[in-house]
Amino acid sequence: MTQATGSLHTFGRGGVHPDPHKGATSGREIEDLPAPSEVVLPLLQHLGEPAEPCVKKGELVRRGQKIAEGGKTGVPLHAPISGKIKPVDKRPHPTMAVAPSLAIGGNAEAGPELEFPEDPAWRDLPLEESLERVREAGIVGLGGAAFPTWRKLQFARAAKVDLLVMNGAECEPYLTADYRVMLAWPAEIVEGSVLIAKMAGATRVLIGVESDKPDAITALSKAAAALPTRDIPVEIVPCVARYPQGAEKQLVFAVSGRTVPNRQLPSAVGVLVQNVATAHAVYEAIRFRRPLLDRILTVTGPGIVTPRNVRAPLGASLSDIVEFCGGLAPGTSRMIAGGPMMGRALPRLDVPLIKGMNGLVLLTGRGPLEDGFGPCIRCGRCLDACPLGLEPDQVSVRVEVGRTLDTEPHGALDCYECGCCSYVCPSSRPLVQFMQVAKAALRRAAATRSAS
Amino acid sequence: MSDTTQQFVLSPGPHLHTEESTSKIMWWVNGSLAPAALWGVFVFGLGALAVIVAAIAGSVLTEYAAQRVMGRRPTLGDGSAVCTGLLMALTVSPNLIWWQAFLGGVFAIALGKMIFGGLGFNLFNPALLGRAFLMATFPLQMTSGWAAPRPWFGAPLDAVTTATPLAVLKEQGLEAAIRLVQSPVGLWNALALGFRPGSIGEVSLVLIALGAGILLARRIITLAIPLSVIAGLLLSTLHTGLPVLHLMSGGLWLGAFYMATDYVTSPSVTRAQIVFGLMIGVLTGIIRVYGGYPEGICYAILIANSMAPALDLWFKPKRAAIAGSPS
Repeated sequence: MTQATGSLHTFGRGGVHPDPHKGATSGREIEDLPAPSEVVLPLLQHLGEPAEPCVKKGELVRRGQKIAEGGKTGVPLHAPISGKIKPVDKRPHPTMAVAPSLAIGGNAEAGPELEFPEDPAWRDLPLEESLERVREAGIVGLGGAAFPTWRKLQFARAAKVDLLVMNGAECEPYLTADYRVMLAWPAEIVEGSVLIAKMAGATRVLIGVESDKPDAITALSKAAAALPTRDIPVEIVPCVARYPQGAEKQLVFAVSGRTVPNRQLPSAVGVLVQNVATAHAVYEAIRFRRPLLDRILTVTGPGIVTPRNVRAPLGASLSDIVEFCGGLAPGTSRMIAGGPMMGRALPRLDVPLIKGMNGLVLLTGRGPLEDGFGPCIRCGRCLDACPLGLEPDQVSVRVEVGRTLDTEPHGALDCYECGCCSYVCPSSRPLVQFMQVAKAALRRAAATRSAS
Repeated sequence: MSDTTQQFVLSPGPHLHTEESTSKIMWWVNGSLAPAALWGVFVFGLGALAVIVAAIAGSVLTEYAAQRVMGRRPTLGDGSAVCTGLLMALTVSPNLIWWQAFLGGVFAIALGKMIFGGLGFNLFNPALLGRAFLMATFPLQMTSGWAAPRPWFGAPLDAVTTATPLAVLKEQGLEAAIRLVQSPVGLWNALALGFRPGSIGEVSLVLIALGAGILLARRIITLAIPLSVIAGLLLSTLHTGLPVLHLMSGGLWLGAFYMATDYVTSPSVTRAQIVFGLMIGVLTGIIRVYGGYPEGICYAILIANSMAPALDLWFKPKRAAIAGSPS
């Protein structure tokens, strides 16, 4: 049983309908950023241990060549441009202020991109070999979380998942990168999904796409019908355009009817969730041993002169990317990495593009909290908006008076910070941040209890 | 190259926000009450206008003074003090003297709202507390000598004083209540359109419904509370044989759509709202039929207000809790 509205699927409760703002870029094909003169690659741009450089200062590397090893829990890094290795140094990082990074100065003498010939046996590789190729390609979740994909696949297999849910919802306002990826490489996404399903042990693939992307649904459906093998069926599931349709728990319920318990992962109900762009990368890694070198992102918002969907080498400076999109419009005050609902504000442009950055939204005007916030008027809008059935109002008033440890019955630990509550609050209360404060305090208290 | 030294504002997410705001909501509520208020002035005359203006002035000035004393930024622009004064005025007799209404507004804000900490913290509906204060303080003007409405458009104001249909129903029975209304358009039309004695803003059900419709369309209120109030009243007056008369008289509609739906003093969880509404409706019926007053909605709501926080905790939203978790 799935929750369906007409023929469309959706999640059970809550959610919001912010203005989608996708029109500026949804009609624009993916455009390549001209090769930048320098790329900066933080050694840590995923969850896990940082990568360990395997090249020396001054060494010439070709695009595609491995430049750092991934260690036991991380993934390797590869040269996104051909050039000369600069010494490892602390460089500005999008989320960590500064971080140890490898840099490459563009240099034509280093030679062209490495060649990645097809492996004719790509469909029938042993499991270990497939996982190794995914790891060696440096693939992490491209939906934004940047968890190393090979590890997620191992966990899924150990948890005996039976269903792979592909996330093509792209429910964040403004973003169209996944949409353009689905239009550009539907066959590769479908093939990649089957490869992922096989590695994870899943027997079925459901690709959830919001119904405001009908041509992506058509393209994927054609690709699924054209699959040469049918051992793993692939089905496209159109979903209602409603935020947060693309959140794991909500998407899993929408397409399969399975309810992921709060505070647990989809694997608890036998599901693995992967982003469509990740499937494309996995396909390239397994068929061609091609590593992850570029990132496709939407650069948009009222603060950019020419909104675009851009394919840029990893490590390219955000200033180069913004320049490619015509530069900043007057009055640009905020820059969001990711979508505007769950993305993170960045302070400046001199930071590199990292693997998890699926959008850059440049906004004008004042942010929701810049003018302060008011008291809770108990209107209940946050209760209606929360997709998990939590009580942001109750958590917020308790945090305000210092009763952070009394917030657990109201769901503080369950919150994954989709932002629906803050979005609808007429008093502009930072409900997500109250949740974060409560969650941190509860976890600290639990850690203290278990330590003593 | 773009200026890489440009500093952006690091505001926390989400970075988008709905257009709705507390002050917009309050002003929509105030605006939606305007037709019923103007109708009150039309049928009861300028005395009603004086009551409305004085009540609002008492509320607004008290809120301003309290915020100054408490060292807070005055927030008169949010419209909530105006809302309290206006709502209170609409629930009182047009016979009230302006300074009495002013005192009611002072009481409503000072002891109904600011003493609890201001907007969002009060337990009881401030407008109804103000009304209860006026009932206790000026019972003569509040309960007797109701101004009779103008019988027609354009006809001169009838200076005869009378009683409300509910009071007559309680004391003398149905026939007398029907005679009281004395309208050629008939009892039901008179009740619906507002050609009857009563509180300033309660008499025209059509205009209250219009205002409520605006709030429903803007999703400022939902039907959960008002429909439960109505259901509760019908249930508790069924045995009198006059549930529909009860439904269409007194301040029921104003109470159900505007007072019981006050965000701060009503539950937020839908299931809790239904229980809350039923409680108000049933209590109203009991007070009207068995109690000492002809009208009961004011006290029914105030009693139910005290239950609102507990109801929200008892009827929490359902969620997919992890196995074995107590919450």
